[in-house]
Amino acid sequence: MKINIQNLTHNYDVDVLKSLNLQIEGHRSIAIIGVSGSGKSTLIRLMSGLEKPTMGQIFMNDMDVLDPSYKKHIGFVFQNHNLFPHLTLLQNITLVLEKTRQVPKEEAHETAMKYLTLLHLEDQTYKLPKNVSGGQAQRASIARALSVNPDIIFLDEPTSALDPILTYEVLTAVRELKCLGKDFVFVTHEMSFVRDFADYVIFMDRGEIVEQGEPSILDAPQTKAMQDYMKKVR
Amino acid sequence: MNKLVAYVLAFLTVIAFIVFIVLRQSGSFNLLAYAEYESLILTGLSNTILVSMGALFGSLFLGFIFYLFSISKVKYLNAMTDVIREIIYGTPLLVLVVITAFVIGPAFGTYQRNALGIGALIIYMTPYMMNVYQSAFSSISQEQYMAMDLFGFTPFQRYRYIIIPQVVRILMPPMMNNFSMIIKGSALLNVLMFEELYYAIFIAQSRTFAFVEGYLILWILYLVITIPLSQLAKWVERKWSL
Repeated sequence: MKINIQNLTHNYDVDVLKSLNLQIEGHRSIAIIGVSGSGKSTLIRLMSGLEKPTMGQIFMNDMDVLDPSYKKHIGFVFQNHNLFPHLTLLQNITLVLEKTRQVPKEEAHETAMKYLTLLHLEDQTYKLPKNVSGGQAQRASIARALSVNPDIIFLDEPTSALDPILTYEVLTAVRELKCLGKDFVFVTHEMSFVRDFADYVIFMDRGEIVEQGEPSILDAPQTKAMQDYMKKVR
Repeated sequence: MNKLVAYVLAFLTVIAFIVFIVLRQSGSFNLLAYAEYESLILTGLSNTILVSMGALFGSLFLGFIFYLFSISKVKYLNAMTDVIREIIYGTPLLVLVVITAFVIGPAFGTYQRNALGIGALIIYMTPYMMNVYQSAFSSISQEQYMAMDLFGFTPFQRYRYIIIPQVVRILMPPMMNNFSMIIKGSALLNVLMFEELYYAIFIAQSRTFAFVEGYLILWILYLVITIPLSQLAKWVERKWSL
């Protein structure tokens, strides 16, 4: 995956990201970590084109993230599963495939079943999101993100709303996806997952990238901000 | 205490209260006096239901227009919905009915009291329907809109497959409660001599002089419609909750 961020500034009432620059190439799984309010979720939303930056540009695999066709290349998993609540887990996927990707009904059903099975949800397909556990709903959300065959999958704290058991369940499922050959960008506080899954780590503090590098930087943080953070999450 | 037993006891208490009230009446009690007015009462009942359904659909439509005005970028339309809502909230239905039929209607050269009465019911319910639309649409989270955006749903597809199916589910129970409110409110159309249930009973009373029996029949007939309706609303809410 190739990431090129130039002079990125984003603000709501205050500056959330301040003149951020980032050039990374050749990594498949990038973790963004940092304390709450450090701008991680904002950065991942901007990288996925869900929000428009106040200033600056982002290119993912040489594509401008504001280009409308860029969204066809990505999948996004939200903090809360964000499935459409009136549709079953299966319909959440088939609707997307049939209506936005023009996939024939039979094929959409097959694809949906393939990914639901991959996420160990084959026996939950006809249930509404309210009738499955938070972990199962989040896994269905991951299946939905995968079903459109994206190049990059963004995960924005996918386990923040889950208890430790469900967190383990979801992260184990994500680990198993590594073999799919997709690129991942994710925000999380789960350091064991970062160590296992990421091949590049970005640490953010107060809207800036303070440290970045291979996951080994987790063991030898250079800045006080990251040292403090690592003490809390370790 | 078992829940069912508790409900049965509560129901029996109310029945006992009604029996007590009936026994306390000084005159004779003869429900059969209304037997020969059955068709008049049934006509009144069907008129009540018909006029209420008309008012329901009318207010659903007008309420949606008002909802669109309330979210419009045109500030005048936002202000207009606010002003009209406050005026209607502050006006008793009875007053709105007579103002519409005897003041506003004639100002436009119309004396169709029945139509104006239904119009008053529609206007009265419009802000309540607007609120129902507001809460139904606002219950769809921003993140769902983000997901729709992300997957590239067209505006038509968003409404057809995601927004409207959810809104309808959320909208149904309060809409049924509003229907119940309209049915109760329609009794006030008797001041226009509209032949709904209250007016039919009123006519029958003036011929039988059995006032107590008439009021009790009136009360029970309203309950026969409104209680199943509110139970249905609760069932739909449970069944369709998201």
